Amino acid sequence: MKPPPVKYARAGDVAEAVALLTEHGSDAKVLAGGQSLIPLMNFRLARPSVLIDINRAAGLDGIRVENGSLVIGAMARQRDVETSDVAAGAVPLLPQVLRHVGHVTNRNRGTVGGSLAHADPAAELPALVTGLGGELLVQGPGGSRLVAAEDYFLGTFTTAMEFDEVLTGVRLPRLPAGTGVAVEELARRHGDFAIVATMAAIHLAADGTVDLVRLAASGVASVPVRLHGAEAVLAGIAPTAEAIDAAAETVAGSIKPTGDVHAPADYRRDMAGLLVRRALRTAIQRTEVAA
Amino acid sequence: MSDDSQAVSVTINGHLYSGTCEPRLTLADFIRHECGLTGTHLGCEHGVCGACTIIVDGRSTRACLMLAVQADGSEITTVEGLANGAELNPLQEAFWNNHGLQCGFCTPGMLMCATEFLEGNPEPTADEVRECISGNLCRCTGYASIVASVLSAAEELRR
Amino acid sequence: MTIVEPPVTTQTRYTGTPVRRTEDPRLLAGRGEYVDDVTVPKMIEAAVLRSPEAHARILSIDTSAARALPGVFDVITGADLAAVAGQQPVIWFPIPDQRIAKTHALATDRVRWVGQAVAAVVAVDRYVAEDALELIDVEYEPLPVVADLDAALAPDAPKLYDDWPDNVSGSLTYTFGEPDEAFAAADVVVKESFNHGRAFGCPLEPRGAIVDWDAFSDTIDVWLSTQAPNLARDLLSEVLGVPVHKIRVRTPNLGGGFGNKFDFYGEEVIAAVLSRRTGRPVKLIEDRRDSFFATSHSRDQRLDFEMALTNDGTIVGLRGISYGVLGGALGTVGSGPPWASVLTCMGPYKIPNLDVTVKAVMTNRSPYGSYRGWGVPKGNIVHERLIEIAARELGMDRAEIRRKNFPAPEEFPHFSGVAFTYDSGRYADCLDLAMSKIEELGWRERQAQARAEGRSVGIGYSFHVEPSAYGPSRILNLVGLAHSGFDEVTLRMDSIGKVTVYSGQINMGQGTHTIYAQLAADSLGVPMDDIVVVTGDTDSCPYTGYGTGGSRAAPLGGAAIIRAGERLRAKLLRIGAQLLEASPDDMEIVDGVLSVRGAPGRSVTTREIGDAAYRRLLDRLPEGEMPTLEEVDVFDPPNMATSYGCTALLAEVDRETGMVSLIDCLQAHDCGTVINPMLVDGQLAGGLAQALGGALLEELIYDDEGQLRTASFMDYLLPTAMEIPPFHFYHQETPAPDIPGGIKGVGEAGTIAGVSLVGSAIDDALSDLGVTVTRFPVTPPRLLDLIRAAQISASQAKEGSA
Repeated sequence: MKPPPVKYARAGDVAEAVALLTEHGSDAKVLAGGQSLIPLMNFRLARPSVLIDINRAAGLDGIRVENGSLVIGAMARQRDVETSDVAAGAVPLLPQVLRHVGHVTNRNRGTVGGSLAHADPAAELPALVTGLGGELLVQGPGGSRLVAAEDYFLGTFTTAMEFDEVLTGVRLPRLPAGTGVAVEELARRHGDFAIVATMAAIHLAADGTVDLVRLAASGVASVPVRLHGAEAVLAGIAPTAEAIDAAAETVAGSIKPTGDVHAPADYRRDMAGLLVRRALRTAIQRTEVAA
Repeated sequence: MSDDSQAVSVTINGHLYSGTCEPRLTLADFIRHECGLTGTHLGCEHGVCGACTIIVDGRSTRACLMLAVQADGSEITTVEGLANGAELNPLQEAFWNNHGLQCGFCTPGMLMCATEFLEGNPEPTADEVRECISGNLCRCTGYASIVASVLSAAEELRR
Repeated sequence: MTIVEPPVTTQTRYTGTPVRRTEDPRLLAGRGEYVDDVTVPKMIEAAVLRSPEAHARILSIDTSAARALPGVFDVITGADLAAVAGQQPVIWFPIPDQRIAKTHALATDRVRWVGQAVAAVVAVDRYVAEDALELIDVEYEPLPVVADLDAALAPDAPKLYDDWPDNVSGSLTYTFGEPDEAFAAADVVVKESFNHGRAFGCPLEPRGAIVDWDAFSDTIDVWLSTQAPNLARDLLSEVLGVPVHKIRVRTPNLGGGFGNKFDFYGEEVIAAVLSRRTGRPVKLIEDRRDSFFATSHSRDQRLDFEMALTNDGTIVGLRGISYGVLGGALGTVGSGPPWASVLTCMGPYKIPNLDVTVKAVMTNRSPYGSYRGWGVPKGNIVHERLIEIAARELGMDRAEIRRKNFPAPEEFPHFSGVAFTYDSGRYADCLDLAMSKIEELGWRERQAQARAEGRSVGIGYSFHVEPSAYGPSRILNLVGLAHSGFDEVTLRMDSIGKVTVYSGQINMGQGTHTIYAQLAADSLGVPMDDIVVVTGDTDSCPYTGYGTGGSRAAPLGGAAIIRAGERLRAKLLRIGAQLLEASPDDMEIVDGVLSVRGAPGRSVTTREIGDAAYRRLLDRLPEGEMPTLEEVDVFDPPNMATSYGCTALLAEVDRETGMVSLIDCLQAHDCGTVINPMLVDGQLAGGLAQALGGALLEELIYDDEGQLRTASFMDYLLPTAMEIPPFHFYHQETPAPDIPGGIKGVGEAGTIAGVSLVGSAIDDALSDLGVTVTRFPVTPPRLLDLIRAAQISASQAKEGSA
């Protein structure tokens, strides 16, 4: 399990990374935290011609609030985001979700951008960014662009980035104070990719009706899924048990799970509905209505 | 050695190691073969078992998931850096007292993981210890004695 | 007046105390030396090309591009290997007239499982060796695949071996009493079909070998991660045609064995052949991916069994068939494990009528071999699951029905009906001990409270028997083992009075060196610090039959040490008596000091004894006493020793997801004399964790094309600290009557007990639904299917009665 021969180049900044990608073409690969790419290389399932290491690229590890959004640099380590007060204050779902991403040692090295660029549909961060309507910051030879999450994730391990583009960060809308959040994850073991994971963020107006709801699931399709149908059921009404059930019942129609050795497709479909129900219940309990 | 070889200098347990290597050489193999520090073990080479866990610049890291060239300029601690001469440190001593190891293959990774953990959490609960070591597989102990070892080390270190 | 007794000097007794392990400091310091840590001058490294096809004819292999790669020393195929090496040996032949499917270490004309070795490369390092593997071009002609048991047994099944009538390697039935009559007359018969998925021991250190074959002296120097160095040496000799005395096998530290490293593998032979051809020492380390295909698989069995009882819960008969789902060739131990399931399927119960069969069936899967517990965990599934189903049927308490069928302590030795005679036991006491601890730990309250909250918490039980101390040699030969079961030990005190114990057993994490030092210290009357234990080198260590497996190291090696120690101690006392001008009968030795009993002032130390026996003999070594201080003992047990235990588990089932969480676990256990309680608990805990993993998480899953779908740690799920519950252990000590020292083995207890245990706890958690777990591992989707089926039949029953 030794990686195949590869060339190596270290990029000092994003522009240099883009230049290197342009120079080496589509067989080059950006190396971030390495928690997904290096195992694939050790199995010789990935064999890039050149690794472009952006671990020392300047200015990619920020975690800050900007114009009502949380902006996280692509190279921010998952563990740093998990323990960041800034991140927790703006998007309290983040630390909860990150605790399910591998183990501390993986998160010490693994980056937010690495997970989003790798685009594993079973991974937690892509689902979170999709569910919250986040935007991906992408830089290429022609400059920077912002891509909405639902336009960014195109399929298993496939994104809207061109070969010569680098993911530089992600922008997540700040959740209003009092938002209740919850993650429900069904995994065979702690730290594994979930069979199914769901995430909920919900905010209630003073009259107790839902004025913000965000729902997402991972492990249920070739891309992370925002559950618009379930959100629509709840929007503007009181989140009663019946309303939660009605929302959960729409889930099966919004997803396209496939089976694998851990669970057949039907099981995933059933569990997605169940976990949405559970996540909603918990998130609602955690909401705080401003006095 | 191909033309693509890279120069690497790392400080491991206080000693500077310099050499050149192919870019594909993992940090784990560099430590084991180039530096002769075979206490860092390879149990899976895909980042799951945790046996190769080391501390790179203050943070626990899977040595099989880093390339040696990436560690250039880093400060690394491996299991060989824990004891003071022939004297085990309190964490090692606690593993000895509590039968926290059997075959010893996962042990270096467990120790390095717990070293980082106890620095950040000097008064852990058993559940927190379980979560801490959940990224390190042990096939011998059933974990309970490792949990007891880490808790006992925490107590000793608080004294 | 007060009478002051003179102070009594008493020997420190190590046996029975939780002595810290002598092995640990260097392992903790990173100074362990596992096979991949060993470097030999001029060593080069190999890698193996494995078949992507489950069943195919090899049409051609082109190695020219691989040979041309810079850094490559040699590339070999099956034809190259077969020119100098024989087929892989099989040592277990329990089924008479069994068809033995053997293969070379590299496939010669046909592959029969995914991952079968087809070629090997040796190069400057492993990186280049793996590069070269990618350049080897093999042309396969696919053959129809026999992917599972049903496919193998189908009437028109494709055959793995063209000259066989079918895919059955062999079959053997044991009958005892009058089973047909018993079943005809029984009040109740319960029957089930049980399945255990494929799993393996999966030591965290993959296997490895370094072989240095010197063609000029025709000697072979081997470093091998093996549990059986003597067996490996004999088998290397057999396969390579080099006499045994020219082969030296050394075992460095082992990163776990679990039976997997008992077996003899093709990689040892491949490395030897590559070494011979290149004239260089060759290291061949199995990496993790290799391990999923090339290390023995195990557990894979279907067990169709029925149990007959009378209305009062007395078991009157057991009959059934154990299908061993073997691979594409026989491994070292042949069909041994599924056979052992049949030998142990009656467990701790007196069953007067038996009709039990083992059937060994070949499939296009990896070869089957040893894994801690061998066939016994599946025998345990049969008796423990069936007795609980019977209890339910009869409306009896689960503990009561077990107690009713135990042999009483005075009924030992107890013949099980098939092969084994259990030496001793207080089974009911052990059950009661477990039950009392369940009460003490408050499990019943926790269960009641959880149920009141609408949570499904259950308590599971498993009573197990662990045949250990595998021997006697002649009986092992009689039942089909081409190997022995004794153990040999050399105990040597040196010229300064320190002791070295040489054993043919090896140390794979269970603490053999510590317990041997404890036993030797007690047996000789010297401090433990004065003792060094040496294992793992066939040049310096004695021969052990079998190897370190079958829970043999403590009882058999221990007995040999005790017996040798008694003789050596007597010699020390004789020499001491000469030095002190006393009678040997009046001498004692306490903590290494020999003195005349009652006269503590007259004493000598072992240092002076050593000097008298090795260096300055004149007037000091008694006339007629042989110089040096050495005793050899070979212990071949007159019978095995059966340890046993009662295990209980508190577990919770999520009825909506099928997820099972393990809350708490206890085991009451009897392994006879406990040498080191800390290490015994470690053995029990580790074994249980493996069983719990096997019951819930671990499975080597093959698809219909015979492709292994779980060949990484992302998919083959070893339990982590988050899935394994806390453990509580309680001991009772019923000494083994046939083993000096009274020691019984303990290595496999946990793996035997823990699988049926999980089924029992789940059934109890869902008792209102009447769920019966029969298939392991119990994955969430499988359990949810069971729950839903039970819910549907419950609601139909309700409608029917309405």
